[in-house]
Amino acid sequence: MDRSLKRHLEARLATHLHGPVRQFTDQTEIRIEAGSVVEVLRALHDDPGLRFEILADLAGVDTGNVMQVVYHLWSETSPDWLRVIVDGLSRDDPRVPSATFLWTGAEWLEREAYDMFGIIFEGNRDLRRILMPADYTSFPLRKDFYLPDDAARSPGAGSRQVERPHAPAVVADDPGAGIRRAPVS
Amino acid sequence: MAVGDRGRRGAKAQADRQVVPAAPAHLARPIVVPNTFWTPTNPLAYEGGRPGEITHLHEFGETDAGRNDDARWGGLDVIPTKADYVLDLIRANSLWPLLSGLACCAFEMMSGATSKNDMDRWGMFPFRASPRQSDVLIVAGTLTTKMAGPLLRLWEQMPEPKWCVALGDCTVSGGRYKRSYSTVQGIDRIMPVDVYIPGCPPRPEGLIYGMLQLGQIVKDRRGHWAEREIGPSVPDKI
Amino acid sequence: MPTRPNGAQPGKPEKPTRPVTPGSPAAKDPAERPAAAGVRGGAHARTGRAAAAAAAAAAGVRGGDHARTGRAAATPATPAAPNPFGSTPHGHDPEAVRARLAAMPRPSADDPRILLDRTSDADLFEPIPPYPTRTEREAEFYSLGDGEMFLNVGPQHPATHGVLRLVLKLSGEQVMDVDPVIGYLHRGVEKICENSDYYHVIDQVDPLEYVSSLFQEWSAVLTFEKLMDVQVPRRAEYIRVLTAELLRVASHTLYMGFLALDLGGITPILYSFIERDEIVEMLAAITGARMLFNYYRIGGVNGDLNHEFMSRLGDWMSRAAKQTEANAALLNENEIFVRRARGVGIMDRHMALKMGVTGGNLRACGIAFDVRRAHPYSVYPELDFNVPTRQEGDSLARYLIRVDEVRESIRIIDQCLHNMPDGPIIAKLPRLLRPRPGRAWGAVEGPRGLMGVYAISDGSDQPFRFRIHDPSFMNLETVPHLLPGNLLADTMAIVSSLDPIMGGIDK
Repeated sequence: MDRSLKRHLEARLATHLHGPVRQFTDQTEIRIEAGSVVEVLRALHDDPGLRFEILADLAGVDTGNVMQVVYHLWSETSPDWLRVIVDGLSRDDPRVPSATFLWTGAEWLEREAYDMFGIIFEGNRDLRRILMPADYTSFPLRKDFYLPDDAARSPGAGSRQVERPHAPAVVADDPGAGIRRAPVS
Repeated sequence: MAVGDRGRRGAKAQADRQVVPAAPAHLARPIVVPNTFWTPTNPLAYEGGRPGEITHLHEFGETDAGRNDDARWGGLDVIPTKADYVLDLIRANSLWPLLSGLACCAFEMMSGATSKNDMDRWGMFPFRASPRQSDVLIVAGTLTTKMAGPLLRLWEQMPEPKWCVALGDCTVSGGRYKRSYSTVQGIDRIMPVDVYIPGCPPRPEGLIYGMLQLGQIVKDRRGHWAEREIGPSVPDKI
Repeated sequence: MPTRPNGAQPGKPEKPTRPVTPGSPAAKDPAERPAAAGVRGGAHARTGRAAAAAAAAAAGVRGGDHARTGRAAATPATPAAPNPFGSTPHGHDPEAVRARLAAMPRPSADDPRILLDRTSDADLFEPIPPYPTRTEREAEFYSLGDGEMFLNVGPQHPATHGVLRLVLKLSGEQVMDVDPVIGYLHRGVEKICENSDYYHVIDQVDPLEYVSSLFQEWSAVLTFEKLMDVQVPRRAEYIRVLTAELLRVASHTLYMGFLALDLGGITPILYSFIERDEIVEMLAAITGARMLFNYYRIGGVNGDLNHEFMSRLGDWMSRAAKQTEANAALLNENEIFVRRARGVGIMDRHMALKMGVTGGNLRACGIAFDVRRAHPYSVYPELDFNVPTRQEGDSLARYLIRVDEVRESIRIIDQCLHNMPDGPIIAKLPRLLRPRPGRAWGAVEGPRGLMGVYAISDGSDQPFRFRIHDPSFMNLETVPHLLPGNLLADTMAIVSSLDPIMGGIDK
């Protein structure tokens, strides 16, 4: 619980914060909108009193109503972990500016968030699937991709036969069926 | 806030399972599985659902395609079958595995190959890097749908006679990843398996026991290589 | 329909003796053959995506890695280049070979009883990449310059530490660029954890970093304890540190063995596995399993130390220090190893920070970031240990750091044994764990770096979101920055020195 960090954040990022700076045991949490990502991250990284130089994690979250992107940062100036929640991304078209301008390592983390949720990171030079096969059509960690007890019959299974052992095989004379393209812009 | 069927536990459908009776141990009869479950991408596979005419690799070997295929023993008709009788005794003591460790079970496989539990005692130490030089494909570790293609290609590249060992729960039946969207629920859905070694991970002693059983299978089936099953060997309705 | 050996088909003339009618299946040019529906001839995808998709689907395409979409028309058979021997050697006739090849259909991958035509090289080679490129980086990578070639170090490879695929762009022996493809072990653990109880989550999270599974459990358990505000008894904390540091020693010992194995030395891996087997048998005495321990619980650990564990630990400790020195000397004093590792794969410290690298790889660049010191958890503030740091940032530094860390871990184990308090080993918690809605992040220092877990609870007995951050993921991301400029032979040295564990990378 670093109170000085809370004061510093409220002073420096007052215009960007949505809601109060919350603190819980050893974590400090701020919420921002997608439009403020670039300024906030740059301020956190460059400000001499903050210097959050270590990106610990970049995660996507699907709350069921909205999507979020959550950054966890670490600085030598504070004993707390800082959590930056980018809130309010729509579930239909979630777009966030990429953090690769500050941390090159965010590239793969953003690829993973895209792969699992479909969140588009604008500015990421390499936004393609990283964990699922390249022709997979669903975003597995979304809440509308549900796992019934027998996951093989999940509605979000991929286009390849090995991913849908219960589904009928692709019919040869239907050229458009079977292999659908992922909705990537 | 939660969307979807989060609260649903989902009772497992207790479908009545008709298990195909196990073939006698000394001879591997092909299990002809009516194609209700595994539907390959090729819609004409398995004759579009009807049982195929060729059920034995033996018969395939009698066609011209089978005769000319360089990777198959059955290219020459009679002599390898008789020679196999003796050669299989030799092969059983010198089964060279392919280094195909995918996940955690690979470490138990390596532990089984190193000093404390030494598989070299039975001639299995050389883990070949190339499928062209190996006899046994020990699939150790979870098989995902992305890896299924490369693994099947490895299996096809192995020259006959070849055997397959499913090491660990994930390869036997999907294991702890039974509910996952991206794992193959047991490798017998895509390739014929000879020995199943359960465990998560199985102890190296278990792996050695399984490999000795494989040696026994090789000896028991000697001379009858052509009658083995090809293709997925998962039992009906599983 | 089966074909005769010399290419004759029922009703059709034999190939070598009669002129070939254009439009028959025996025509040389694939473009002249009839577009067969179904299985035969489905292997060459000619025009457009739809036809290609249908053809690919009909020909039994097996997966995203082998999808043959969008490929240009297969080139017709070119006449053989002038033979340097003058005449064809050994009566070798390339046309006859091609004819024989064309007459020998190959069994389909889905079902060997289905025979596919082997009519073009499209069957034999797969374009890289097998799908159209969509991103900027892909377009940059997959365009070949002058004299460059792709080498696919495929998912199955003796040196890739599991299923990692590296597409190398080589110019001769020198690596120009590399595209690591991961995901061959993606098991969907995060999704499974969203549908599991908190206890089951600990079990599911084990096989991620299977070599150091206790650390993975620790990060999950730490996060849940923050979420539920649980106090862990001191004895449990000391047991956790003791077992975790033992596993760190095992993991680093295995690392040394694998690094040597990837550089060609087969002996050190045998020594490593002896060490690892001893430690793992020790841990099996208290946890019941050799590898995926499922030992930590929210609020403590699952079982107390017992006599077998203590006796095995005593045996091991009595020779641990000397054994470590001997194992390390096997490599440190080996000139080949040192010269292959020194100066290879130098990671610049600024680049390492920007890449999010943590753990020994970051400390080898000179930045002393260790979660045990930066953000202490458990009883580490009470323990006396150093955090070894080196400045060079090359593979040798990464290796030597881990040797130092083994020595430090042995010191920590010693202190734990001496200061082990009495008391309960687990806090009293209700059987049905229903934490209050909230979010928590917890991180531990694993053998490869920072292992973090971000858990969101919605008040039910299953976590709403369970996010695992794995250090090997970030370490592997540096590969496209470290590999270019080095020779092919150094590739495996560099990748191996980063110590990737594919289970954690792919989740």
